[in-house]
Amino acid sequence: MIEHDVVCPFCGCLCDDLEIETEGGRIVKVQNGCALAESTFMNDVRLPAPIRRTETGWEDISYQEAIKETAEILQGADRPLLYGWSSTHGEAQSVGVHIAELIGAVIDNTSTVCHGPSILAIQEVGHPGCTLGQVKNRADVIIYWGCNPVEAHPRHMSRYTTYATGFFVPDAQRERTVIVVDTRRTDTAGIADEFVQIEHGGDYAVLSALRAIVRGKASVIPAKVAGVSKEQLIRIAEICKTAKFGAIFFGLGLTMSRGKYKNIRNAIELTDELNRYTKFVISPLRGHGNVYGSNEVFTWMTGYPFAVDFARGIAFYNPGETTAVDILRRGECDAALIVASDPGANFPRAAAAHLAKIPTIVIDPHVNATTALSRIHIPCTAAGIDAAGTAYRMDGVPIRLKKVIDRGYPDDAEILKKIYDHLNGGKGP
Amino acid sequence: MRVILESKVRAKPNLPIEAEAIIPRNFLKGTDLVVYEGNKERTLSELFWIFVEGTAVAPENIEVILKGDTSRIKRVGEYMDTGSIVIEGDIGMHCGNFMSGGTIEIRGNADSWLGREMRGGTILCRGNAGHYCATGYRGEKKGMQGGKVEVSGNTGDFCAEYLAGGTVHIHGSAGDFPGVEMRGGELIIEGDATRPCGNMKSGTCVILGTVHDMLPTFEKIERRVLPAWKITADVYRGDVANRGKGTLCVRC
Ligand code: SF4
Repeated sequence: MIEHDVVCPFCGCLCDDLEIETEGGRIVKVQNGCALAESTFMNDVRLPAPIRRTETGWEDISYQEAIKETAEILQGADRPLLYGWSSTHGEAQSVGVHIAELIGAVIDNTSTVCHGPSILAIQEVGHPGCTLGQVKNRADVIIYWGCNPVEAHPRHMSRYTTYATGFFVPDAQRERTVIVVDTRRTDTAGIADEFVQIEHGGDYAVLSALRAIVRGKASVIPAKVAGVSKEQLIRIAEICKTAKFGAIFFGLGLTMSRGKYKNIRNAIELTDELNRYTKFVISPLRGHGNVYGSNEVFTWMTGYPFAVDFARGIAFYNPGETTAVDILRRGECDAALIVASDPGANFPRAAAAHLAKIPTIVIDPHVNATTALSRIHIPCTAAGIDAAGTAYRMDGVPIRLKKVIDRGYPDDAEILKKIYDHLNGGKGP
Repeated sequence: MRVILESKVRAKPNLPIEAEAIIPRNFLKGTDLVVYEGNKERTLSELFWIFVEGTAVAPENIEVILKGDTSRIKRVGEYMDTGSIVIEGDIGMHCGNFMSGGTIEIRGNADSWLGREMRGGTILCRGNAGHYCATGYRGEKKGMQGGKVEVSGNTGDFCAEYLAGGTVHIHGSAGDFPGVEMRGGELIIEGDATRPCGNMKSGTCVILGTVHDMLPTFEKIERRVLPAWKITADVYRGDVANRGKGTLCVRC
């Protein structure tokens, strides 16, 4: 059987044009997707049943037992941490927020290690953005700053930018100017019309210089800024000012390098400055499929997009203080529930090490590096493969993930609801 | 009157304590105050040994002394308006938030957000201060607006971000981006600083040590003698990226 218009849940592009062929409850073919999509659907090896750590190894336990023990661990904690959420659907994320509020936990999502700085910058100066559809149909100047879509978002360029035919840009490859800014020559840089190589950590200075040039203050700028010549900066400023519609996309190269959210703020203010001349927009290239959704869900429920601390019964937000990495690094939390993510693989070592010291429960379809640090691992459905639900694309457009097959696992939202029921004496959220 | 609070040994010493109740004024009515440990509510006496010496009729005559392991106690001195607090060791985050009067002396190190959104009064930190010393809250347009923060040691990154008024004096070095988004007030760094005053709008910053990675968007105006510091300094105007009219003086 062939299912049309399937959404790929892997990266923030959430491409919704995949064709998936299934045979007897198995996926046999993935079409239209990139290599990442193919491995998401085809190499989907799951943990068969819930497991619990014993003195010598692991034992299988029932879902009921796993849920009960999880609830007891969370109930007894003085500073529980609920982390992850970016690879599951909004339905599960919202139950997570309810649990956090009920038990006075800290709830955080993976923005904390990817685009959290972008959010902080947006909270300072706003977000001049637009949907990807507008970029596709209108943008004639595209800037990729500190990101490598060729590898991380393989279909971004073909669906929305360089290779995508748009209503007002019929001959995309000729009409669109692509500028790539990075510290190294990436694959994306290879197809750029203009490649700007910045010295490591020099993004802020280059953005400031561009702002000054656009403002007509080029005379102040020295001959070289962070390894970039003044001539090139003036040329870039000119390309941007004369664009019909420009779009900046940025990635972790900008959010996670020195200066973090100040880099993004500077990029947003450059966009603001350029809007005095033409239409310019800026958007983060979000990584995990539904990380944007976790920001949306957290925000409509608590008022804050990530790092929400319910310890005092009300929502408090202060990245650096209430972010998962910081709470773990300071050894504050005494129990952790990790849902749909893998902090064991991408957190700093001191933070990950603390997860091994406290009772950590993982709810995730797959065995990952966090499993090795955990006490209990409960397998569940994977959103977009064997569970339907809502996800948000990187530009904030909600898209319904489809259920393609049934593999007999319970939905993580269901598991979380049962945990909530336990914690709340049998009453659901 | 002196109130001495000595922290008790805790089963989970890493759990943060939130103790905005610890301000001199509150001890006029006794020591029956509420603090929070993790997600649990506690009385002050559950977490501290409390000793009270003498009496007071006005809050300005109250001195609160914190002893023992106080490095995880947050929000001490929040909204304090008078009196004094002495912390013998290290103090946790948000010490002196929104403070408008009185003095806080920290004999050890202070964690991040020391004197956040401060309006008046004095904070003296004899050790080092963490990140965001004398700044504002996330997304807030104004940071510290008045009073004085003096740090004998070094500070972390983003010191005096959004500084809008008052004086911040760092005897040691500041980390990355001190005085970023500054819009008023005075920032003095006797040691070194990296990328000072990014995007500043107004206010004055004086740096006596070495500046690393000076931003390209500051316009050199003149070389001048600063009698107050007995130095000759290069005076810059900026940040021109945003029409800023701030003054940055760097010793030459
Ligand atoms: S670009 Fe992203 S969403 Fe699209 S198919 Fe590839 S991995 Fe999936």
